[in-house]
Formats: sequence, structure tokens, C-alpha cells
Amino acid sequence: MKTCFTFLVSFLLVQYVATAQQPEGVVTYERRQHWDKILSQLSYLSQEEKDRIVNTWKNVEEDKSKWMLYFSPTQSLYTYANQGVADEAGGYSKRKEDYSIYRNFDQDQKTDLIETLGKTYIVEDSLHTPAWKILNQIKEVAGYVCMKAVTTDPIQGQTITAWFSMDLPSQAGPERYFGLPGVILELCVNDGEVVVEAIEVTLRSVSGELIVPTAKGKRISDTTYNNLLKNHITQSIKAQRNPYWTIRY
Amino acid sequence: MSIIMRVVLLVLLCTLSVDAVRAQTPGRLILKGTVADTAGAALPGATILLSAPADSTLVSYARSGEQGAFEIKNVRRDTYLLKVAYVGFFPYQKIIEPGGETIFDVGMITLKPIVKELFEVVIRTAKAPMTIKGDTIEYNTSSFKVPPGSTVEDLLRRLPGVLVDPDGSIKAQGQDVKRVTVDGKSFFGTDPKLATKNLAADAVSKVQIFNDQTEQAKLTGINSGKKEKTVNLELKEEFKKGGFGKITTNWGLATNTGARGELKGNYNKFNEKQQFSAIGLANNTNQTGMSFDDYQDFRGSNSFNWNDDADFGFGGGGGRYATVSSDDEALGIPVGGSRGQGFSRNAAVGVNYNYDTKKTKFSSSYYYNQSRQTLAILRNRQNFLEGSSFLNSEASNQLTFGGSHRVTIRVEQMLDSLNSIIFLHNSRLTNSDASVASLQQLFNSQGAPNTQTAVDNGSFTNSLGMANTLIYRRKFKATGRTFAASATTQINNADGTQDLNSRTNFFQAPIFSIPSVQLLQDNIIATHRSQYKLSLLYAEPLTEKLFWESFYNFNLRHDEVDRSVFDRLPEQNTRVRSDTLSRYYKNNYLFNRLGTGLRYSYKGVNFAAGGAVQQFRLNGRYASSPTTPTLNTIDRIYTLFVPDVSVNVNLKNNMYIYGGYEVAAQTPGSRQLQPVTDLSNPIYISRGNPNLLPQLSHSISLGFYKFNPATFLNLSANTAYNYNINQIVNAQTVDPQTLVTRVMPVNITGGQNVVTVLNVGFPVVKTKVTLNAGPAINLSSNLTPVNGIQNMTNTQSYTMRTRLDLTPNDWFTLYANADWGISNTRYSISSSQNQRILNHNYNGDLTAKLPQNLFFNTTLNYRIYRNDRFGFAQQVTIWNMAVYKLMGKAKKAEMRLTIYDLLNRNLNVSQFAGQNYVSEERISTLARYFMLGFTYNMRGVNASIRKNRGY
Repeated sequence: MKTCFTFLVSFLLVQYVATAQQPEGVVTYERRQHWDKILSQLSYLSQEEKDRIVNTWKNVEEDKSKWMLYFSPTQSLYTYANQGVADEAGGYSKRKEDYSIYRNFDQDQKTDLIETLGKTYIVEDSLHTPAWKILNQIKEVAGYVCMKAVTTDPIQGQTITAWFSMDLPSQAGPERYFGLPGVILELCVNDGEVVVEAIEVTLRSVSGELIVPTAKGKRISDTTYNNLLKNHITQSIKAQRNPYWTIRY
Repeated sequence: MSIIMRVVLLVLLCTLSVDAVRAQTPGRLILKGTVADTAGAALPGATILLSAPADSTLVSYARSGEQGAFEIKNVRRDTYLLKVAYVGFFPYQKIIEPGGETIFDVGMITLKPIVKELFEVVIRTAKAPMTIKGDTIEYNTSSFKVPPGSTVEDLLRRLPGVLVDPDGSIKAQGQDVKRVTVDGKSFFGTDPKLATKNLAADAVSKVQIFNDQTEQAKLTGINSGKKEKTVNLELKEEFKKGGFGKITTNWGLATNTGARGELKGNYNKFNEKQQFSAIGLANNTNQTGMSFDDYQDFRGSNSFNWNDDADFGFGGGGGRYATVSSDDEALGIPVGGSRGQGFSRNAAVGVNYNYDTKKTKFSSSYYYNQSRQTLAILRNRQNFLEGSSFLNSEASNQLTFGGSHRVTIRVEQMLDSLNSIIFLHNSRLTNSDASVASLQQLFNSQGAPNTQTAVDNGSFTNSLGMANTLIYRRKFKATGRTFAASATTQINNADGTQDLNSRTNFFQAPIFSIPSVQLLQDNIIATHRSQYKLSLLYAEPLTEKLFWESFYNFNLRHDEVDRSVFDRLPEQNTRVRSDTLSRYYKNNYLFNRLGTGLRYSYKGVNFAAGGAVQQFRLNGRYASSPTTPTLNTIDRIYTLFVPDVSVNVNLKNNMYIYGGYEVAAQTPGSRQLQPVTDLSNPIYISRGNPNLLPQLSHSISLGFYKFNPATFLNLSANTAYNYNINQIVNAQTVDPQTLVTRVMPVNITGGQNVVTVLNVGFPVVKTKVTLNAGPAINLSSNLTPVNGIQNMTNTQSYTMRTRLDLTPNDWFTLYANADWGISNTRYSISSSQNQRILNHNYNGDLTAKLPQNLFFNTTLNYRIYRNDRFGFAQQVTIWNMAVYKLMGKAKKAEMRLTIYDLLNRNLNVSQFAGQNYVSEERISTLARYFMLGFTYNMRGVNASIRKNRGY
């Protein structure tokens, strides 16, 4: 028992040392969006319609896409794994809207290149770290033991669950989330409506990839961006159309 | 500003600045400590988290260094929840309340290790989140699969760190479990086995194992310090299951016929894996089947399936290659459809069962529907010949009955992550009968009566249709490489009898020079058709963006028809077989296609180009009976090359451009091929043509779509051009004396048409007023041989559609639309007969929500039909009204009073200019009726007054 335990500790130590040497790398995520769950949340639908959606579409495969997070202790960049290629191998290639999320933790700066509602926006602002709550739950994601943390998104009213690894010391995370003592390896919106799960972590130098995304677009602040989404959601719900076909959930 | 105000402000400022000073230097402190394991070894790299104790929001964090020491600087002086976490150890947590010191040392923090097996198995193997609450470890049972029907004991055996002896006693982490509680309560007395042996595993969501005070300590309140292992079972909140149902009844009176009633009910029961549903309906209000929503509720997860197309072709899919014009009723469950014409009585019942897991998806259904319809039709049809024309004026009464049993089965099995199979079975057993009584009169160009026929026919048919399909799909490790194979067998058998009774009189000069004809005939028809199909598809990625796809299709259709025709001789009370009309016919239609193509897919640009070689082989023979010598044999081979190009571009800002060029082949239907003379209408005699070749349509299409999600503006435009080769068209031969028409399908090349549709939709006032408008233009020219001369019919039809949606608030909606249609038709053989037809349609639908859950709805439909040349003008106004009230707290019940066709004007009218004719038709239909209805819906009645709601 004692030897087992020592072995475990040493094993974990080795893992820690390995990470300490090169605390930067790239995480590949699979992002899965469950439309039936999202649709059955729409407030203007009757219970009958919601049940019908869930019962009809429960077997339909979720919307899958692949994403990359380049991280170092000071910066991170999250974007498509391959923007051009179809998500389903050999399938039809849809044009994917620009989405590159850059964070600089040292300079308290974000640069988010987001194409939404028919326009490209560049959200430039200070970081505005989400208020995380750390919970006593652990599980493994992509070979790393992760702790659970939760926060809420006040704009879309979502509960965000993050699983972060203390072995990857960077505040980086997928989508627009960050600010935990380790890289977020899994992100879950509400009851699994969207799940972003790491499938591979590679530790290597990523200084070449960690560059601020550039494109033509309208420069706006966090507040303006949030208001844009808020307005769109309110108007769409009022017009009884699903707002989430055209914005990122 | 008053002096008092200034004083108040000053005081306020002072207190604020005092606070600020206190919050700065003396308010900040340095928090330090070291982290070690129970053996005293330093733990470098442990995470130290500082949270607000009230809501545990993360405030700051640090990592321990080489010697296990940590330090957090610039911490605001406050009470915190300090948490230390390290992989493989129980997290440590403690409330800290710093005093006045500048450096707050928490000292040595010792972390207790989690038993290694537990950690490795739960976290790494089961990949289950393991929750740690102090000393309690919580297992999530969903990660530990047990067979259905297992008890909690079986479940515990699978948990790492738990041992269950053969007698059922439990050991956890080496210690005996003294107590088993359920949701924290001891239901089962002191014997822990009672709970674990009797409780079903699938009722438990979590198992918690912890040390608890002894029962005695709890009772006495004296903590002896002695603790015993306790297992707590947390029950699942009702797992995802439910049932819902709906029943609607309507009863009322009609103005032009008897009492009306409707009854419809459905019930669904489901849980995570299974869905069961039943539906039943009966009415005499022309509603032939279930609505689309009913269908979705009935079929559940099996409502829509995409991968069931077994005919592979260009673009990986099928459908677009060789379609068969079918004379049969579809195998699938009939859905939707507007209120039928005439008067009908309808009934249907069905049950459906689905079982879905990630690996296996099973679905089955049985559905029976029947419909008895009465139609009274008045039809006028002007037929154009070279330099002349004649009018066919018809009055007929039809009574038809059809009843069909349908069974569907679908199984989809994932063999492993790369291989899957789908099995489909659809079958239908139908019996139908029909009787038709009609009087047709033909008037010549001068308007004088020429021919008259009175028909009284009856028929009975029993038919069986069945299709079985097996599809196998294989993916490969190399992304993009796929292989698929499919096999299908289909049968369509029909046995029927017809009795034909008619008398035809000829009035042309010299009067009665042609004697009248009486037809008394019995037909006995046996049709057997079988079809065998095989398809293969292989796709290989050449690069990340370029794919090479190839496919092969084999399709053999075998037809066998035995039609015995007897002339009835009532005087002799006997019947004689007619060898000239009786036919025994056998035919094989073999189709082979081999195709290949390249596809480019990258960044929203999808371009594909390919070609296929198709070969049709037609092989048939016919005789007057199975035993008599063959009268004729047919053996034809027809080979052609078909190209296929498709473009689909997804541009920035939700803009799409698509287009393509394809050649579609359509093989002639069985009936079109049969060399059988159909005398059921003695003045319009049709006969099949066993020499027919497949029809080919070349089509070019181009489209554009744009949607602006910010302004809700949408624009669409598309146009398609078709050119037909070997189009299957009915050639007509009209006897100049009797005006009796004989038709036979033939192949003709040269028919073409172009369709253009535009639409723009935008909100005039966002969320309140929406306008949609757009024209549709259809230009076509078709060839028809009439008496050996090619008649070219040119039709130009223009339609303008507009729709206005008014949704100003949540208690009022108005949806209005207007369609204006005009069509000009020119006939090359008789330019004096050129026609202009107007079809206009106006609709309004208003709903208002009144207080007390009372609703009001009214719809108005106004249709105008006009043809000045034909002297035809008809206007129909249909006005419906309904008042309904939702009842009960949960709004599960509804009472509804409905008045259909308030003005009692309903009449089914249609007018159409065809290849060498123009016709107008009126069918008397169920008109004004009143109904009082009641609905009970277990999920609550849908009270939305909106239409076109998107999701």
C-alpha cells in the first residue's frame, strides 16, 4: 500500500516536472452542440412543441467541430483546428464564421475576432475575468486530472461548468472562458447543450502561433458586444424565432 | 448647494477616505504556508485557492514551489475559504480569518492521499467524475454499467474499493459497512443487506461512502469518537420518462348534409430508450389522415431518417438517377394533405414502438387507414384539333373506398465505430373498390351534339406492396474514405376485377349512320411486379480538399400481367373471352449505371463534376393468354452517357450561391408499358406502349440566397431550365366522325420549360410587421402528337405572391396573403384557341386573444377563376370562424365553437390549360357546418396565436 502510494506520488511528480519545464502547448478540442436541447429551451414554445422536438430529434448526431487552444502562462489563442475543411470527413464544407479569441494575461488585454450577425467584430477590452466558483469534484479529461469550477453567463443566462487541470499552469481556456489556476480542458454549457472537450494536449513551444488575430472589422468593447447579443436575443425571442442559429451559443 | 449638503458631503468624503486608507497598506497582507503529504514530504505544484466563504467565488490562487512553500501577496484583509488541491489527494479546505498581521502564515498543510486503486479506477478507467466532500467519496452510478434488473448489491460489487461477500455483507475501504441509508434515511433497520438486496440498481443515482457517528452516538448526543462505515444511496430524480396524450372531439351539424363529427386521440409514453405511441382518428369532415405534428408525435425519433437512401449516385446520395413513375400507392404512412374534396368518411389507427441506444436503433409501426369518398363532378373540357375543336361535357358520380394496412420496421446497428448496417422493411396491404357513373357528351365545333356515352363501372382490387432494404456502410481510419453497399427487393402485386357497362350513341350526320355501341365487359387482372436493386459506393480522399467518388447501380424490374377480358352476354346469361383484348405480358427492364466524379470541398466552396454511363435493356413479350403463342417480342438496348456538375458556394454574410447541371432518367411506369387496351371510358380509350424508352431531362439550375440576421432581411432568387429527350407524352388520335379519342404514350424530344422564382422578405416594423413578396414565372413548351400532327403548346404563366404578417402585440395577429396568377397558352395546331386564364387567391387569418383565456379566430379565403374565351367566371368565398376557451389552471382543456364556411359557398373549382385542351372542373364539397369541440391535452393546449414560429 505504502509503495503504491509512493509510486503514485512519484508518478504525479514526474508529470508535474514535465509540465513545469514547458508550461505551454496546444489543446485540441471537440465542440459538440446539441440542438434539441437548445431548441427545447426556447421560452415561446409550448410544452407540447418542446417534447416533440426532443422526442423527434434525440437520435440526431450533435453538431461537431474541432478547435485549437494555443496557450502559454501569459497568452492564449483559441480558434478553428481547420477552418476550411468539412467537419464530417468527406462531407459538405460549410463556410465557417471567423472566430479567433486572443488573451494576454500579463497585459490584461483581450482581442476577440468574432463574425456574428452578418458582420466581423473585433472585441478589444481588458480581460474582465469571470467570477469562478471552485467545487470539490475531480475527473480526468485527455489524460489530465481536472477540478470543477462553475460560473454563469449573464447575457445568455447560461451556467458554465469548466474542468481545469492544475498540471497546466495557465489561465487559458476554450471559447471566451479563462481565469482559472489551470488550462480549462472541458467546458459545458447548461445541461450539456454545448460541450467543448479536450481530446489531445501537446506540450511544445507555441510562440509562433500566439499572435494577435488581425482582420478588417468593427472595433467594439465588451459592453457593446454584450449589448449586441442581448438585443438580438430579445428581438428574436419577441419575433418568435430562434436566436441561436445565427449567434454562437 | 446648501450648507447642510456641503457638510454631509464632507463627512461622507472623510469616512470614505478613512476606509480607503485602511484598505490600502494595513488592509493588504501576505498569505503563506507549505503543503506536504501525510509522510511529511513536500508537495511542489499544489494549487492553493483563496475563495470568498459566502459563495466560494475564486479570489486569488497560487502554486506551491519546490519545497512545497507558497505565498500569495497583496491579499485584502478578509475572511477566506482556503483550499489546497493536489492530484491524488483529498482537497484540504479551511476558513481563515487573518488578524492584524501583515504576513499570515497558515503553516504546514497536510494532504491525505486518496487510495490509489480508487483513484486510478474511478478517475482513469471509469472516467467518472468522483466527488469528494470532506471524507466522503461519491460514486456516480451512471459510470458503472449493470445489466437491467440488477440490484444495488450487484452495483456495489462493481465499485472500486467496495467488496461484497457471497452472503451480501459489504466491506468498503477495508472496513465493514454497518449501515445503508437511502437519501440519508435508514429505511431498512439495522441490516444493511435489506436495502442492497431489494433496491433496483437503476433507481440509484449516487453511492456515497463515508464514516458516520454510530447510531448510539446520534441518539445520545455523546460523541464517542467511534465512527462506522456508512453507505448512502441517493435515488434518481424520476429518470427521463413521461407520458403525454391528447384527445379532441367535435360534433355538429352541416347545412347540405347530415351531422358531422371528428374524434382524434393520441398517447405517447417514453423513457430514455423507448418510445411508445398510439393514434386513432375518425371523422366525416374530409380529413383523410394525421397532420404533420401528429406524425412527429407518432413516429418520435424515427420521424426522419437521412441515411436510408439505398440508391447511391452523384454526391454520395441517390434519388437523382433513375426514378420510376409509379402507379402504386406509397408504402410510407400518408401524412398531411389539406381537407379533401367531395364528401369523405375517414378513419385511422396506428401504434409505433421505438427503442434507441447509441448502438442500436429499432423502430416499428403498424398503421391502418381507410377512406370512403363520394364525389359529384361537373367537368367541361375543350379539346383542340388541327383547325377544329370539340367540347366534352361530363357529369359524374364516384364512390370510392380504400383501406390500407401498413407495417414499417427499421433497424440501425452500429457494429463498431467504423461499420454500420441499416435494415428497412415497409409493406402495405390495400383493398379498394370504386364505382363510377357518368354521362359524357361531345359537341362538335359548331356546338351540335356529336356523341354521348353513359358509363357505369365498378372495380375491386387487392394489392400488396413490400420493400426490404439492407444498407451497409463502412468508414476507414483514413478520414474521408468510405464504402457503402445496399440491396433492395420490392414486390407489388395486385389482383382485381372490373365490370364495365356503357352505352355510346353517335348523333352525327347522317343521323344514326353509326349504330350505338353497348359495352358489357368483365376484366380479371393479375399484376405481379418484382424489382431487385444493388448499389455500391466508394469515396477516396485525394487531398484534404479533393475527393474521388465512384458508384455502381444495378436495377432489374420484372413485370407480369395477366388480363382476361370477357364480353358479357346477358341474354345467354354467359360470358365469352375476348382474345383480342385479353393480354398476357412479361417484361424485364434492366438498368445498369457506372459513374465516377471528383468533388472539391473547402472553405464553403463545394464543386463536383462527374459522369456516368447508363444502359437500359428492355426485354418483353406478350400474348393473348399465358398458353397462347407469343404475339410480339421486344428487345431493345439503350446506352447513354450522363454528365453531372454541381456548385454550392457559401459566401460571407450568410450568402449562398448554388447551381448545377444534371441529367435525370425516368423509366416508364408499368402501366405505360402494358399493351393493354383500357375501355373503361369508351370515348377516351387508352393503351400502353411496350416500346417506351426512358425519359431524359437535362436541367440547369442557378440560385441565390441571402439572409441578414441583424435586420431579418432575406432575399432569394432561383431559376431552372429543363430540356426533355424522349419525354413520355400521350399521343392522341381523334376519330373525325365519332370524336372518340384514343391515347397511347410515346417518346417525344423537344419539350422544355424554364421556371424563375424571386422572393424578398423583410420586417417593415421589426417584430411587428413583416412583408414577403415575389414573382414566379414559368415558361414552357410541350409537344403532343394529335392525329399525327405535332402540336406545340406554349404556356407562359406569371404569378405574383405577397404576404403580410401583422404581429403587433401578444394578443393580436393577422396574416394576409394575395396571389395573382395569369397564364397565356398558345396552340400551334389551332391558334384561334389561344387561352388566357386568371387564377387569383386572397387569404386572411386573424386571431385575437381576449381576456379570460378566450380566443377568437377568423379566416377568409376569396378565389377568382376566369377564362374569357371559354366564358368561364367563378368566385368562391370561404369564411370560417372559431371561438375557443382554455380551461383549468394548467390550461389542459379547451372548448371550441367553430363555423366552417359561414356563407355556404364551398365548391371545389379548378381550371387548367393543358397540352391541347383547356378544362374547368367543379366538385360539390362539404360546405357550411357548425361544430362544438372539446380538447384535452396532458401537456397543456398550445395557446400561441402566432404562426410561422421558427426553431
